Amino acid sequence: MITEKGLWNRLRLRLLFTGPTLFAFLAVMIVPFLYGIYLTFTNWDGISTASSLVGFQNYVSVFQDTVFWQSFLLTLKYVFITVVLINVVAFLLAYALTSGLKGQSLFRAGFFIPNLVGGIVLGFVWQFIFSNVFVYLGKEMSIPLFSASWLADPDKAFWAMIIVTVWQYAGYMMVIYVAGLMNVPKDILEAASIDGASLPTKMRKMVLPLMVPSFIVCIFLSLQRGFMVYDLNISLTKGGPFKSTEMVSMHVYEKAFLSRDYGVGQAEAFVLFLLVAIITIAQVYFSKKMEVEA
Amino acid sequence: MKSWKWMQALALSLLVVMLVTACGKSGESVEGSAVTITFLNSKGEIQSQLEEAAKAFKEDNPDITMEIIPVPAGQSPFEKASALYASGNPATITMLDTGDVEKFKDRVLDLSGEKWMADAVDRSTALTTFEGKNYAFPLAIEGYGFIYNKAVVDQAIGGTFDPATINTTGALEELFKKIEASGKAPLIVSPMDWSLGAHYLPLAYAGQSADTAAVAQFVDDLKAGKVDLAGNTVFNGLLDTFDLMAKYNIDKASPLSGTYERGPEVLGKGEVGIWFQGNWAWPQISSFDTASGQYGFLPVPVSNNADDFGNTQISSAVSKRLVLDKEKNTAEQQAAAKKFLEWMVYSDKGQDFLVNKANIIPAFKNITLEAKDPLAKSISDYIAKGKSQDSMSTLPADHWAKVGASMQKYLAGAADRSVLTKEIQEYWKSVK
Repeated sequence: MITEKGLWNRLRLRLLFTGPTLFAFLAVMIVPFLYGIYLTFTNWDGISTASSLVGFQNYVSVFQDTVFWQSFLLTLKYVFITVVLINVVAFLLAYALTSGLKGQSLFRAGFFIPNLVGGIVLGFVWQFIFSNVFVYLGKEMSIPLFSASWLADPDKAFWAMIIVTVWQYAGYMMVIYVAGLMNVPKDILEAASIDGASLPTKMRKMVLPLMVPSFIVCIFLSLQRGFMVYDLNISLTKGGPFKSTEMVSMHVYEKAFLSRDYGVGQAEAFVLFLLVAIITIAQVYFSKKMEVEA
Repeated sequence: MKSWKWMQALALSLLVVMLVTACGKSGESVEGSAVTITFLNSKGEIQSQLEEAAKAFKEDNPDITMEIIPVPAGQSPFEKASALYASGNPATITMLDTGDVEKFKDRVLDLSGEKWMADAVDRSTALTTFEGKNYAFPLAIEGYGFIYNKAVVDQAIGGTFDPATINTTGALEELFKKIEASGKAPLIVSPMDWSLGAHYLPLAYAGQSADTAAVAQFVDDLKAGKVDLAGNTVFNGLLDTFDLMAKYNIDKASPLSGTYERGPEVLGKGEVGIWFQGNWAWPQISSFDTASGQYGFLPVPVSNNADDFGNTQISSAVSKRLVLDKEKNTAEQQAAAKKFLEWMVYSDKGQDFLVNKANIIPAFKNITLEAKDPLAKSISDYIAKGKSQDSMSTLPADHWAKVGASMQKYLAGAADRSVLTKEIQEYWKSVK
């Protein structure tokens, strides 16, 4: 096909195959994105038929909105803890489930299942567990840690969110790690064993470096999901008690739709997009440098 | 080779056409006179009753099918309604809170000429009338205060309880003590932000004066930052009562862990004597009822002087309004929706739905059905005696969430009164 002459001839064929996807992508991602940026310069309230341009006023409000920055810091803390825990748990699970355990495919399926349940449903299920099941058990067996609902205490509610997040995503990341572990060439591991390398040495010098691509993907995915968490936040804690677990996405949503400050909400969403984009691009860029070839 | 190129061009143009037409609105052809309308319901507790009403309405009007769309729990009617508008698919009839109607006035029908306007109770459409045009149908009057379980309080005071005796904070505490002495928990405080932020705290604004203009002035002064809440007697009186509530609360050990569902259960079963809530809670209370339907309301006292405004008045107002979309719905759909409104006010089945099925206190003088529901009846009695205080129904949209969170903090003991006062004042200053 490269032999085809002329720009149009080449373009036409490409459009035939990529056109539909490109069109869908433009229509549902790029156009709304650009329109959203336009809205940040207006004072639209979400419903009125008229609005006027206000320049950069909404962006000024974003930097004055201390609650936004507080919830961003809280989200950073949440992301940091969940990324570490999800990946550690997922890697350990993957390692255990590739070591030839009996019934390991069954276990793999089992750990993966939480990921198939939507965040909202999962949040409600865990809300019931935290505020009813645990409290019941705590009272019956007099365990002080569980005698009051975790969701009524700011710190415990935060940890409740982390536990549920890790439980939800560890299985998904585990699948990626399993694939990564299976792709580590057996021959070099065998050669290393013959040369007398111990298990920790093989792990540190061979398995981990060869797994870097899997780590990049998993850390990227867990970073991005952590920053964008909303469904779990709304269904598990509703941002409570008293707004202490309100993550940044939820704050943006409430700003736009509850406080009816659509322009400011949209501007906050855009600032959030830039921050998250910078963080994730930096992560991918720097970790790419760690990749090695077998 | 030439034909191959033609094929490509053809396939490409076909694809483009398909994609473009897929985005266009497929023509909604209405066959015959059958018409389907949608109803966005933001009163979750009457969802099944509304679905039954839609069936009853269809019996009378076989051509009209009405679908009830619920607003998901936790979402505000405004959020859902504006999302539906944004997607170009608004419901024919949308149930909004009073304060939201103004935002939608460019998109909804002017209802000033409707027949029911003449029968609406006084002032029930005042808050939705802009430039002389009324845009909304007043659906329900709702009131709130302390709901008491008569069986429990009767036992506590050892006789027949007279709600009129509770007209001061001191009298309320006496009652709490008696209930406690009888071996029951005095009351349950449900810690939802909407209950504390939209119902409890606004009593402090509404209680400022019996004159609604003075209350409106007070709210304006709050916005301007001219009110010193810390020195306001009504505000402090209300919080003194709140301190009492927190002290005698059954969930004192973990005040924020309660849910709405727990309230009707413990009140209905008689584990507590009193619950701060409104008449909308009757369907849930009745499913746990052990007091053979004997419940009533007590006003929330704000001082120790029985004559002060608010101590004997129950807070009530038209809380839910219906608006009809004029942008995306056809003339037939609009006419069908108007018919439904009239059907509710003037037909026997419609009135039966409002009063008996949905336990709504209607805002129409021609409806004389007596409420079977004791809570609605109690509110109606207070209104009939002129003992009512207008609830604050046009507060800023995020008031309940923001102030509710501050109230939760206060209830949990994570903030003292000065912090609460400061947060409320800060909130009002941030309102645009």
